[in-house]
Amino acid sequence: MRVLIVEDDAALAGQMKQSLIDTGYSVDHATDGEDGHFLGDTEPYDAVILDLGLPVMDGASILKRWRTDGKEMPVLILTARDGWTDKVEGLDAGADDYLTKPFVMEELLARLRALIRRSVGQSSPQFSCGPVMLDTRNGRVSVHGRAIKLTAQEFKLLSYLMHHEGKVVSRTELTEHIYDQDFDRDSNTIEVFVNRIRKKLDVPIIATVRGLGYRLEWQEDKA
Amino acid sequence: MIEATGRFFRSLTGRLLLSAILWSAAALAVGGMLLSFAFRTYVLTDIDRKLEMMIDTMVGISEISPEGVLRFNQPLLDQRFAAPYSGWYWQISELDSQPFRSRSLWDFELAPDLDHRAFSLKLSEVPGPDGQDLRVAERDIILPEADRIFRYQVATDTGEVRDAIARFNWLLMGALAFIMFTVSLALVIQVAYGLRPLRNLRRSLTAVRSGHKERIDGDWPEDLRPLAQEINALIDQNEKLVDRARTHVGNLAHALKTPLSVIMNEVENDTSKKGQAIALQAKNIREHVDHHLKRARIAGGGSGPGLPIRERMEKVARAIARLNRDKDLEVTVSCPEDLKFDGEKEDFDEILGNIVDNAGKWASSVVTMTAQRTEENLRRPYMDIRVEDDGPGVPAEERETLFERGKRLDEHVPGTGLGLAIVRDIVELYGGTAYLDEAKLGGLAVVMRLPAK
Repeated sequence: MRVLIVEDDAALAGQMKQSLIDTGYSVDHATDGEDGHFLGDTEPYDAVILDLGLPVMDGASILKRWRTDGKEMPVLILTARDGWTDKVEGLDAGADDYLTKPFVMEELLARLRALIRRSVGQSSPQFSCGPVMLDTRNGRVSVHGRAIKLTAQEFKLLSYLMHHEGKVVSRTELTEHIYDQDFDRDSNTIEVFVNRIRKKLDVPIIATVRGLGYRLEWQEDKA
Repeated sequence: MIEATGRFFRSLTGRLLLSAILWSAAALAVGGMLLSFAFRTYVLTDIDRKLEMMIDTMVGISEISPEGVLRFNQPLLDQRFAAPYSGWYWQISELDSQPFRSRSLWDFELAPDLDHRAFSLKLSEVPGPDGQDLRVAERDIILPEADRIFRYQVATDTGEVRDAIARFNWLLMGALAFIMFTVSLALVIQVAYGLRPLRNLRRSLTAVRSGHKERIDGDWPEDLRPLAQEINALIDQNEKLVDRARTHVGNLAHALKTPLSVIMNEVENDTSKKGQAIALQAKNIREHVDHHLKRARIAGGGSGPGLPIRERMEKVARAIARLNRDKDLEVTVSCPEDLKFDGEKEDFDEILGNIVDNAGKWASSVVTMTAQRTEENLRRPYMDIRVEDDGPGVPAEERETLFERGKRLDEHVPGTGLGLAIVRDIVELYGGTAYLDEAKLGGLAVVMRLPAK
């Protein structure tokens, strides 16, 4: 899952970025409104954390422009002004949730998880596909109740596929959603990761769709 | 009472009235005294003139008889000298002989001081018969026929004249009192009329303070216009100051909260005693900052063109519906197009946002917002707003505690618990009311009365 943080305060942005990375997200960070708008407009994010008070262009304007341009990714707005006028304007501009500063990281993570989950139509924080379970709250993966250890990249990849169960996901799409913008992308590595995951899970839930990419699904008869 | 009187005389009305009334009273008193003196002088001079003429007449008809006795060669044709104690008397005296007296003196005798000569007219007051006060004119005359000196005296009772003067004085005092009364009345009316623009100015100021007017407008008299302009300038400046204070407070909030976030996150997973203590204190700071910044932000004053609330309610409805998309929350708004809140947008959003957010969290599928103008005839226009949800509701006995700061009935639904306390703070600052009730939908209803425009 790839997340964009648009926040001008370096300390807070650093903390958020670190927590998100630790939890298994790929994170891009923009420090002003213009950069933030550009990134959100050009890169495919699974969620955006947007501070409302930003230099150059304020959060609500960015959000309005994204929504006008048809960008539908879930957006969590951060506001230091805890007045409802700001919240209402933010939500009305197209935000999906708000968080008032100061907040604890746990709450941010919970809100973010819920937002991403909701955006793919999932109501429980636990994703399951056949015997495979993925808990977005603690990043644990299990097969038949047995815990599986995955690397950060492997977890990101599996998590993305779990979020899009039954859909064909291309390698490019996976690359875009697993790596942040600074990463030197090479779509061949995706294949390597998929193979490792298949080996670790030991259940055939990731199918290769020739020429298109991968699809996560559980078929009883194949097992 | 004494203090109230003192305050009255220090007031403008009091000063104007007091000085005008004292001045007219003094003028009237002096005028009255002059009139009284003039009248008295005139009356007394007239008497003296009559007495003198009488002496001349008496001298004219006096002769010495062959027997050497003074007599009148023709009778003094005045009945007043004949009736006893009539009040008019004459007497002609000569040293060492019986005086020649008018019949009216009867058994009384004037006592001329014959030892001292008085060749020019001498006037004096002496007690007369029957308790009368006599004005006496006397003069020594040497008749041509004899070388003898006679003292001619004519006297009249001044009692009647004094009565007339007293009557005149009473009449004068009555007239002056009446004049004083009408003048005072005129003064009161004049002061009231003259000071009416000041009273209007005060009324305008009251209207500004209570938020019914934004500025002091109207056509003021020449001498009040600069004052009205100054007051308007002051109102503008005050508005600017309030705005600036709000901006400062907002900036302070922004400045404080980000570092506070950082501190809280730093110690979030720190289980050491120190870390826990810092976390607790940071939480306390956050609560104080939240509460006081919100309160400081509240303007609590009306005035201004008023805020059309339908648009705000629809915005809040959309926002809350968006927040609760996963349970497909429906938020409905029913509000007349022209209903306006007499206050600030931020405050209205704060009130409605907190309440509807709360309702949205508890509702299972529906939140309704209704607003309408208050029908009751109150001192000023109000509106009634009712927010209902179809959630589990709150038992009657627990409802009031929801307004207390930091109170939450269920810790599982996120929220700081400050929401409803803030709502009541704001509502009360606007002179409105807020209470909780049971909703027709089954859940909780928040009922508020707020000033309308």
